[in-house]
Amino acid sequence: MTVVTDPARPVAVPEASGTAPPRRKRGTFGFNSLSPTEKVVRYLLLVFVLLITIGPFLWQLSTSLKGSGEDIYTRIPRLLPSQPTLSHYGEVADTIPVWDYMRNSLQVAVLVVGGNIIGSSLAGFALSRLEFRFRRIVLGLFLATLVLPGEVTIISQYVTVRELGLANTLFGVALPGMIGALNVLLMYNAFRSLPVEVDQAAVVDGANVWQRFIHIGLPSVRGTLSVVAIFAFIGAWDDFLWPLIVLTDPDKYTLTVGLQYLSGTFSNDPRLIAAGTMIAFIPIVIVFATLQRFFFKGVEEGAVKG
Amino acid sequence: MRSRRLTGVAALAVAALTLAGCGLGSSDDTSSGSKPTVDANAQVTGEVSFQTWALKPKFTTYVEGVIKAFEAKYPGTKVTWLDQPGDGYDKKVLSQASAGQLPDVVNLPPDFALPLAKQSMLLDVGAADPKIAEEYVEGGVQAYQYQGQTGTFGYPWYLNTDIDYWNATKFAAVGLDAKNPPKTFDELLAAAKVMHDKSGGKEYMMSRLPGIGDLTNAGVKVLSDDGKTFTFNTPEAEALLDKYAAAYKAGYLPRDILTQQYLGNSKLFTQNKVAWTTGGGNALGDFVKDNPSLKGKVVPSPALDTPPLYVQGLSVSAKTKNQAAAIALARFVTNAENQAAFAKIVNIFPSTKASATDPYFSKSDGTPESDAKVLAFESLAKAKVLQPPVISGATNDFINQQISLAISGKVTSKQALDAAVAKANQLLAS
Repeated sequence: MTVVTDPARPVAVPEASGTAPPRRKRGTFGFNSLSPTEKVVRYLLLVFVLLITIGPFLWQLSTSLKGSGEDIYTRIPRLLPSQPTLSHYGEVADTIPVWDYMRNSLQVAVLVVGGNIIGSSLAGFALSRLEFRFRRIVLGLFLATLVLPGEVTIISQYVTVRELGLANTLFGVALPGMIGALNVLLMYNAFRSLPVEVDQAAVVDGANVWQRFIHIGLPSVRGTLSVVAIFAFIGAWDDFLWPLIVLTDPDKYTLTVGLQYLSGTFSNDPRLIAAGTMIAFIPIVIVFATLQRFFFKGVEEGAVKG
Repeated sequence: MRSRRLTGVAALAVAALTLAGCGLGSSDDTSSGSKPTVDANAQVTGEVSFQTWALKPKFTTYVEGVIKAFEAKYPGTKVTWLDQPGDGYDKKVLSQASAGQLPDVVNLPPDFALPLAKQSMLLDVGAADPKIAEEYVEGGVQAYQYQGQTGTFGYPWYLNTDIDYWNATKFAAVGLDAKNPPKTFDELLAAAKVMHDKSGGKEYMMSRLPGIGDLTNAGVKVLSDDGKTFTFNTPEAEALLDKYAAAYKAGYLPRDILTQQYLGNSKLFTQNKVAWTTGGGNALGDFVKDNPSLKGKVVPSPALDTPPLYVQGLSVSAKTKNQAAAIALARFVTNAENQAAFAKIVNIFPSTKASATDPYFSKSDGTPESDAKVLAFESLAKAKVLQPPVISGATNDFINQQISLAISGKVTSKQALDAAVAKANQLLAS
């Protein structure tokens, strides 16, 4: 894959206005020049993927804006509300204490994000940079836990949390998610991609483990750290079943559980539920927007060297 | 209706209750815990907890009113009310049970109550209160008596059933009369053919695949008398599936029904894709709320054949520290007066015999919603529990998958039913 981009080669001929573009022979296109048909096909595919990924989201958004007098379910989904209204958003805030739920969710999310950033980077650093007995076994154990689906362990997890006296507390909700095995592996990979020579040079200079971790390891894995932060945040924010099981006091409900109050037993208004979902979505956008600069760096980071 | 939310409950039930049995939770000795230690006339006082399912915030005022009345009637009592969100209730209840924290009085539909009753976690309220059989309708009480278990494990609370809803516009378009809709499955098939042929294959009548309830309706014996084996792989069941398969092949059923989503048929109906759906007495309001353009176009009629009976109930935890107050509360919430008040806020029906004569349920005020309510109320007299509660979520899913395969023609009806019975028996035994 080394010949893909050659900066010396003219990549695309800028089209001079007024003159017809020079006719190119079929079949001589390189990687960077596209035939018009191929371009159309690529864009069509992109649009198609775009539609299936954000389609449901747009539908939910448009449902939340639709007035009470208009149809929600139509044969061909209609995205533009004909009687747009923001009243459902106000109604959500009137029906449930949405700000309290959001504060609870935030507390859990902050604990989980903090736990993962500190715990996973420590564990990942230890697994990739330190020599100790059973290192491989520990790594294997981390991998092994990934195989277990959460539903299998949820009851025993609840019993454990309850025995610790943490039932019905937000800390009890956050605790099991505070170090994710997958995050440890991500950090392990990120630290591994840093050349060992750098570390060895630091050892020669007399740096101890903590100094190497803080001054050499961490600054080079900021990207992966933000990936871990975003995934941990989304995971904590979106979790439904676990907070439902741990919490009994409605004042302590997280947003996902609290939003359930919008859909009652006998009848519910999809417009109201959609508005609630949209409200729950806002913080995720904010977190992603602040961290996205690092995020894309982090996604590449693990793959470049290794 | 709600009980279809039970997906995956069987596996969890086993896991949860095994754990509870291990004594990881601070559970007491559970042997013979289901027998009451006080009689119905014991002194009622002290604290008692009460758990409902998804009644907040719409019915907060009603429930708080009932609780206040209870505390006033029995001075010295204090009720703590918990309301659980709709989703994941089965798992919540199981985790409460395995941790030994089941509230004193719990709202449980019969199929959620069964795994708890098997583990002696629910009180036999029939033994504590012999008047249950006299005061509540038979179908409601029977729903809490299980094959293989002795006792009645809950006070029936509110009831509901399904009636049929038809799209009058679609009927008129193909020359059918919505005022005189199909009354049996065979008439429905005939109407589906008309709908298909006259609209050039664009419109559909039928909107769902058969389930266990339909097999019961076709005269199939689903479960053996001792409740230990399933017996629905009979020639009658095969004939019914064959009819559906033929209808599917002829294009009378929309393609997207094979996935069998919960409430999928009413969604298709709201989307204007099909002309028939089933729904509770309150479903009409939902159709019109979701799609206001349906207003005035929906005609209700009684369900085909025997209508299904859906029961909700209040069970009493076997480990309650305050049996007298718990039993009194369950009985108080489900008494005729409180149920009638509840039924007037929302279209559900009381499970008490005394309510049968209430003119509110038997007289329509002329609106379609009210017509639907009266129809549903009349159907209740004939309604039966069509799906035995031993069919857990996992079993039901597997049966439905097999039925889907048979209807789409991938396997024969006999193969599908045999496979479903084998798997269901295996799940029942485990």
